Amino acid sequence: MRTNLLVVLFMLVTSCVMAQTITGKVTSETDGSGVPGATVKVKGSTSGTFTDSDGNYKLNVGSSTTIVVSSIGFETVEISVGNQTIVNVSLKEDATQLSEVVVTSLGIERSKRSLGYSIQSVGSKELTEVKQPNIVSALQGQVSGVQITNTGGGPGMGARIVVRGLTSLNPNGDNQPLFIIDGVPIDNSTNDNSSNSRGMSNRAADINPNDIETISILKGAAATGLYGVRAANGAVVITTKSGKSGSGLTINVGSNFSVEEINKLPEFQKNYGRGWYGIDDGSVYSASGALIEAQSVIDPSYIFYDNYKNFYRTGGMRDHFFNMSGGKDAFTFYTSINNTKQEGIIPFSDWGRTSVRLRGTAKFSEKFNMEASVNYSNSGGNRVPHTTMGERLMYWSHTQDITQYEKPDGTQIAGILSANPLYNAKYMTYEDKVDRTIGNLVFNYKPIDWLQFTYRFGHDFYVDKRDEISPGPKGIAGENRSGLSALGFMEQRRFINRVINSNFFVTFDKEITSDLRATVRAGHELFETGLNYSYNLGEQFVTPDFYSFSNVTRHVISENTYRRRLLGAYGDASLDYKGYLFLNLTARNDWTSTLPKGNNSFFYPSASMSFVFSDVLKLPEAISYGKIRAAYGKVGKDTDPYRTAATYTTATGFPLNNLVGYVRSASRGSDQLVPEMTSTLEFGTELRLLKNRLSLDLTWYKANSKDQILAVPVSTTTGYSQVWINAGEIENKGIELVLNGTPIKKGNFRWDATVNFTRNRNMVVDIADGVTDIPLLTQNGYVNSAVTMRIAKGRPYGDLYGTSYQRYYEGGKPEGTIVLDKDRTKVISNSGSFAGFPLMNTSEQMVLGNGMPKWLAGIRNSFSYKGLSLSFLIDTRWGVDQFDQYGVWLAAFLKPDFTNDRNDVVIFDGVTPEGQPNTQQVWLGQGLGPDGRDYAAGYYRNIHRVISENFVYDASFIKLRNATLAYSLPKKWITPLHLKAASVSTSINNIILWTPWKNFDPESYSTGAGSNATALTGMGYPGARSTFFSLNLTL
Amino acid sequence: MFKNMKLRIVILLIIAGFFTSCENYLDINTDPNNPTTVPVKGLMSVTSVRTASNTANLGYFTSYFVQYLASPNAGGNTDTHQEINPNGTWVAIYNVLSNLSDMEKMAEQQGAPNYAGAAKIMKAINLALLVDAWNGVPYSEAFFVQTLKPSYDNGQQLYTEIFSLLTDGIANLQQTTTTLTMGTDDFMFGGNTARWIKVANALRARYLNHLSKTSAYDANAVLAAIANGLESNADDAKVTFTNEVRNPWGDVSINQAGLVLDGWISEQIVEALDGTTFGVVDPRMEFMFSKTRHGTFRGTKNGAGRDADVMDLRLDASTLVEASFYANRTSPVLVMTFAEQKFIEAEARLALNNKPAAYAAYLAGIKAHMDMLAVAAGSRDAYINNPVVSVGADNITLDLIMKEKYVALYLSPETWNDARRYNFKYTNMTIPAQLNPDLNGQFSRRLQYPSSEFSTNSDNVPEVRLSDRIWWDQN
Repeated sequence: MRTNLLVVLFMLVTSCVMAQTITGKVTSETDGSGVPGATVKVKGSTSGTFTDSDGNYKLNVGSSTTIVVSSIGFETVEISVGNQTIVNVSLKEDATQLSEVVVTSLGIERSKRSLGYSIQSVGSKELTEVKQPNIVSALQGQVSGVQITNTGGGPGMGARIVVRGLTSLNPNGDNQPLFIIDGVPIDNSTNDNSSNSRGMSNRAADINPNDIETISILKGAAATGLYGVRAANGAVVITTKSGKSGSGLTINVGSNFSVEEINKLPEFQKNYGRGWYGIDDGSVYSASGALIEAQSVIDPSYIFYDNYKNFYRTGGMRDHFFNMSGGKDAFTFYTSINNTKQEGIIPFSDWGRTSVRLRGTAKFSEKFNMEASVNYSNSGGNRVPHTTMGERLMYWSHTQDITQYEKPDGTQIAGILSANPLYNAKYMTYEDKVDRTIGNLVFNYKPIDWLQFTYRFGHDFYVDKRDEISPGPKGIAGENRSGLSALGFMEQRRFINRVINSNFFVTFDKEITSDLRATVRAGHELFETGLNYSYNLGEQFVTPDFYSFSNVTRHVISENTYRRRLLGAYGDASLDYKGYLFLNLTARNDWTSTLPKGNNSFFYPSASMSFVFSDVLKLPEAISYGKIRAAYGKVGKDTDPYRTAATYTTATGFPLNNLVGYVRSASRGSDQLVPEMTSTLEFGTELRLLKNRLSLDLTWYKANSKDQILAVPVSTTTGYSQVWINAGEIENKGIELVLNGTPIKKGNFRWDATVNFTRNRNMVVDIADGVTDIPLLTQNGYVNSAVTMRIAKGRPYGDLYGTSYQRYYEGGKPEGTIVLDKDRTKVISNSGSFAGFPLMNTSEQMVLGNGMPKWLAGIRNSFSYKGLSLSFLIDTRWGVDQFDQYGVWLAAFLKPDFTNDRNDVVIFDGVTPEGQPNTQQVWLGQGLGPDGRDYAAGYYRNIHRVISENFVYDASFIKLRNATLAYSLPKKWITPLHLKAASVSTSINNIILWTPWKNFDPESYSTGAGSNATALTGMGYPGARSTFFSLNLTL
Repeated sequence: MFKNMKLRIVILLIIAGFFTSCENYLDINTDPNNPTTVPVKGLMSVTSVRTASNTANLGYFTSYFVQYLASPNAGGNTDTHQEINPNGTWVAIYNVLSNLSDMEKMAEQQGAPNYAGAAKIMKAINLALLVDAWNGVPYSEAFFVQTLKPSYDNGQQLYTEIFSLLTDGIANLQQTTTTLTMGTDDFMFGGNTARWIKVANALRARYLNHLSKTSAYDANAVLAAIANGLESNADDAKVTFTNEVRNPWGDVSINQAGLVLDGWISEQIVEALDGTTFGVVDPRMEFMFSKTRHGTFRGTKNGAGRDADVMDLRLDASTLVEASFYANRTSPVLVMTFAEQKFIEAEARLALNNKPAAYAAYLAGIKAHMDMLAVAAGSRDAYINNPVVSVGADNITLDLIMKEKYVALYLSPETWNDARRYNFKYTNMTIPAQLNPDLNGQFSRRLQYPSSEFSTNSDNVPEVRLSDRIWWDQN
């Protein structure tokens, strides 16, 4: 905008000498509204003007006959004037150019060319086209430098976003970016159940994606410096839609309907039924028994039931939205209502959201304007215990029909020792209900044209109330209680969360010389968060099926409050030299409540530079725009509340008999903590080639996070299990590439493509003195097949440790070999009960893989021809290892298709401990083999399921995130209906195109969107694919 | 310009105001949920309850080793003496020891020797649980974060510490002035210092008795301690649990009732009581475990899992149930009983070759246990008077004493100490099926250190095998 102002001044001066004058109105082709601020230039000359707020202009054109009209977000047009004196121009929207102006920190709009750091925006169309009710999921594949992972395919399930890699060594540390809506920070935490994950929503799921105009992702310290500590992991800056003055009333209504089905199932063997040693002995082992075909001759009811297929249902979503916007004179407004209801593929799981929004602006004078918005949402649903159900689904024999789960008296029909997961799903309910209000208020006062005061107040408040019920015995004779709580219980959890933000800043914007313009800001911020968490447990219902805290024999109550305050003072100076060289400096000091007095004030600066060299250098014709940029910045980080002291905590069950009871808290705080510091260095370039048909944005960055505040696990003999200290360093470096192109643009046909590529390399430089690694989480497996995800010194974040087959090393394994060489020859036992089988290394945990992807890429293609458009978004995640816990269980129960070889005689590849090739034949089955040898429980139970190595493997995928075919009805059809626009579309989501992963959708993990243990894929909520039908009308 | 001046003043005032109020505004980091100081009584309540639950939790492992319990599934890890990870129990014991260390310090600072004394005695109990299971453990560098990696003290030296904790604890409790009167916050004795002193002496007898295989064993010293020890069942050190804080064995019963299979009774103890092994039916069985639906008692073979004809997993085999003396959610956990002291006495008397006294103590031990269970007097006397039990003073043997002590200390971790001193020579006791092959056909003699020590204190944690013997179990 600043450069535009310069142009205006210049034009005003030169225009005086011109003679012939034309007038006209520039409008948007989409809705016919006036386009304010569009540039109208005389071709081949420097003279020009801007349109006013209604899109009107007046220009002296002299003798020239052609004008060039351009505006950000629209395609530039050239129009021959001839002898006309009134020239009205209709502009076509240009999606690829929308990114010209971007929203940066504090909600300040800046021209992208002036920025010395990488920033990327996603517009409303891209966000809503993918039909994700959760805005975090909607960003998948659409931004570089960002990794987004859905925790599973359940309704309302959380999604996780990490910008430029994990920065915290603290296993439970928050690595996700700050979320800002219209300049106001909001909460995006995920509070999942630690003991039994329910796939709770990340709180940004409360936002209706239809209300969003753009989302900008701020990545490095130079970009986020002004936000201070909370944006140390980056920031997601959301700008909502607003009304346009003078555009009249626009009403938009639409509906989406979808059907959802499971997108990937394990491959099962269908030949063997329940039992043990090849016979159905009535035991619990679900598929190591008799040949179904043979058994069904004796018992015709003994057949294979496709229980997995029958268990999951066809779910679906219906989503309705209505929004209305407009403006008159000095006032604008935008209001919307949205209702979404989703039913998951696991029976009884659902989630919904209703949200209402109002945003308005008022311009009282040229000097003073204000803006206010309020957003209310209500969301929640029934979260089935998908982990428990996944496990029980496994135990369930596939010779028993799973869909028969309940007797007429309401008791369970179970299997032998296995609970029916459908019965669990129906009765073990967990319902959340979130009521949330987000409001903000902005005042702008501009007493003189180079000075502006801005005050912004934001408030985000929600109550998340959750009720869990696990029924107790009904007291009916013979009732089957398998898998149910022995006594029955109900739990009520309540989170009351509040975020308050007050931000005041002054902007000086002045031209110092005709070549140099300076914009300086100084501001003060106050930030406060409060969380009150209460928990109520009632156990053992006296009257069955009456779920009230008045009907239990035991109560446990607890309540915790967390408060955090932060004060910040910041400054920002931007220098603009001739519109092609830009320097931006920021500095901020924070004072936090969470660090010890004396250490709680910290300062950090940043500097960034942008040079648009194409304005200065003579470049080949093919390069129309070229820019290089560099940025260096630091950002400090405090910690969560109450980590500065050694405390006691109430012992479980106390107060008891009117007596209080305390024990030491397991974590010991420290009054020596100092702030963490992350420094980021980044370089980048932006190029536009071939008449803007191709653009490229490339970034290299390196970020080092030092002095991390982390809870080091210590020997419990010290009296604590963790001690808070400052230590360690983690480094992330990577490349981000964005390619935008328009390969074909011919007549009415157009093909646009965008590629987002992300590559991040992570290294744990140091942890703490004497600490070589910190376990993130261990996920169990049968016998020795548990896998631990760890943060280890000298290794990338998230190595997966577990047991493996022994490998042959001539002369012994070299000291310090910690990474398993999977390609190395296996050692085969030649003596004892396992002779002929691979030897296992169970005494030593080796690195079997790493849970961080090597690279990510999203490719979006869209084709349009007149009103018809087709787009697809392909998302690739490459080179990531995960633990397939489901695979361990399946193998242990001999369910996978590969266990059909159970009666084969094989010779395992490998060498004897002496290095000789293995020649011994062995049988894979259970019991007495054809060679008369007793193979006991057999290969799959004795060997295969025992070793972690078999279950840690590549979880890469290529997914079709979304493909949409849309048709905008022609004007001639809809005008008689008094519609401005109408479109219908159909789309498909989340189709797995390729993955080496064996069982369910690899994009799932066990512990909820807030957890860092993303490579432990347990019995999650399986992924779903969906098909949508949508209708959208604009009035 | 004038307007701007006013503006600047306003800004300066705002900034000045912010800096002056900022200190108070940010002073909110005192944890409202967790205090930094607590009353001594608030530590007493929890440590007295948890000293008992630690005893029960360790007993959960040892009850498989001494075959009170057996796994319903073949090859159960604990049941077959595999290297289990006893992390939870280890952490719980260190937790209590740390809190007791705080309590001892605070009591001394506040002039409450009675609390300091109780803290020391409970420290002795918890420390002995550690040493008897793990031998060398961190102690002298532990509890106060002096170092993040405390070194391991020698087990034998820790026994010296146990005895001095008892001596000092008794001395503290004998002081008559205190600033804090102990009351119901003492879940063990309700604040009765005399009973604390008695149990400290009884414990001294127990730990002196542990030395029976060593040259340091002194039967007279054992008897001297007993002389000041418990005088009747009323002196028992026990904690009665509640529905709010349940007896750990009660949780086992609840699990089993909910078919989370747990607490199955070993064939060893069932046969020792139902007449199979000794030809006399013990009336205590129904106080200890459940009957099958056929009204009989049925144990499970250690290591072998439940029998094939066990179809109803609640009613076809004996298990722990809430309807029993030991495993109701509100049952007491017995830390030290008069019955145990009687058997210790019997052993010491026998060692001094005083058979009549040994025999009397043996019979008194049985009677004390039966009275504790409230066995009907007729059944009690019928059992005691049975010639298999009342063998006469001349025929009293260590085998008989250990046989009856085994019953009287049902579920107590103390039986594992006895078993190791006695080399598992209980009648018919054999190694479980599918025994951990690393043990070469022998019972395990100690616990492996917990995984948390290997991950956080690997420099110090000793390498041990389950066949290694702790210091007082060397031959």
